[in-house]
Amino acid sequence: MSHAHDDHAAHDHHAVHADHGGIAKYIYVFLALCFLTTMSFFTYSQYWPWPDPAVKRLFMTAVSCTKAMLVILFFMHVKYEANWKYVLTIPASIMSVFLCLALVPDIGARMNGLFGYQGKYSNERLQHVGDPADVKAMLTASEYAAEHGEHEAEESE
Amino acid sequence: MASIAHGHEHPAAGHHAHPPKLQYHPGLPISNGKLFMWLFLSTEIMFFAALIGVYIVIRFGAAVWPATHEVHLSEPIGAFNTFVLICSSVSVVLALEAAKLNNAAGAKSWVAITLALGCVFLGVKGYEYRAKFAHGIYPWSPLSLVHEQPDVYYGSAVRARATELITRLKAEAGIAPTPANAAPAAAAPSGDAAPADAASNEDAATTIQQTQTTEASPADAVEVEADDEETRERLKHIHTLEGLQARSASTDRAELAALAAEIMPMPVSEEAGHVKGLNDKYPWLKMPVVIPGGNMWASTYFLLTGFHALHVLVGLIVFGIMLTMVLDSQRAGVIENVGLYWHFVDLVWIFLFPLLYLF
Repeated sequence: MSHAHDDHAAHDHHAVHADHGGIAKYIYVFLALCFLTTMSFFTYSQYWPWPDPAVKRLFMTAVSCTKAMLVILFFMHVKYEANWKYVLTIPASIMSVFLCLALVPDIGARMNGLFGYQGKYSNERLQHVGDPADVKAMLTASEYAAEHGEHEAEESE
Repeated sequence: MASIAHGHEHPAAGHHAHPPKLQYHPGLPISNGKLFMWLFLSTEIMFFAALIGVYIVIRFGAAVWPATHEVHLSEPIGAFNTFVLICSSVSVVLALEAAKLNNAAGAKSWVAITLALGCVFLGVKGYEYRAKFAHGIYPWSPLSLVHEQPDVYYGSAVRARATELITRLKAEAGIAPTPANAAPAAAAPSGDAAPADAASNEDAATTIQQTQTTEASPADAVEVEADDEETRERLKHIHTLEGLQARSASTDRAELAALAAEIMPMPVSEEAGHVKGLNDKYPWLKMPVVIPGGNMWASTYFLLTGFHALHVLVGLIVFGIMLTMVLDSQRAGVIENVGLYWHFVDLVWIFLFPLLYLF
């Protein structure tokens, strides 16, 4: 019975996949993926019109999702599969989104006051965690070190 | 599941009823192997969704997070790795197409190319990890040299390391170690800064002064002359280290930040590129460094990329096993299933690359 089952499944499998033959579309998808990877860097170029980091990240996320869809639909052949693909993908997608959302109020909003919640680390942890003021102090010191190093290099020449 | 065909409920008079025809309907129109692979991939989706979700939440919830160049990440290298994995996805798909056409040799060639590209990916990843380790960025202590703040704990760590190195260099140069009850020659209050700035480099390289004090006798200065180049080099290093030792005793945060910037400066601009600090100029120095947010960054970076690299390694092992098989049309199902796994690995990297390198 299992052989009949497998033969039947294989027959359906081949029947479904008989229509999309040819490797040309794989090449097109590959070129599209390369183009989209390059587009990820577009946010770093001088022609990117929106300086807000949130817009940059949204664009990069959209590019990543597009690349993922191309790989899933064409390379993994999900485009040609039957309705069972929805049973597989939709719950997993919902889970991944809600997992992130569930962690946001406690961990994600801890330091930046989202939803009016000004929770913070414990006092002991605050003593050891990085501080934006330290970043500024180090940048100032690094700029001085960079200029001082150039000045010494010029003098030695 | 079997169903009974009901076409013979009312047989005509005189005819015997035929036995019911059982019709078997498969649960899903795919083979068992493919079904198993998709079920396994769904567990992998949950696994990586958890890791990536936690990274996103920690990263955007942290008070401060290091920029990519602060932790020596290179975007072009990440982009190259992305390109390599995309190419390997194409090659495994072409292997499947070749196998479907019963072209076993062609399928094997494409699988070999996939294996090679996967090895390139792991090699580049290893190179990146080596660069992190060279800058003291590890995912755990005590190997990690990363401190979060330029505070007194950082100063104490710098002092301890400097003392260790001075002791070792003096032993190598044949100089007697400074007694425990004596103040180091270069030790001074924070306002006096490093004596190396005042003396010439030549004098500092050839001689050091050791001050020995006892409770009864006055201070005696011991001068050490160096004849060979190696010893002169060691003496120069000792002088530099004693300067760091003195400056690390400061309790002023700005001075400690300046010390940290000298050891490993932060990247100030894209044009400046990679500015070399003391840790870069002298790889053996391995002084503690300050990277605000660096420890959490290291934990998440190595966790995400480490698990991804493990999955790539497993895929490469499977590709290696496949190269021992005849990859004709009968094996197309095997190639398809392994290809599904490999495409998933590529998919994870498609999300990891912008999250880790571009955000």
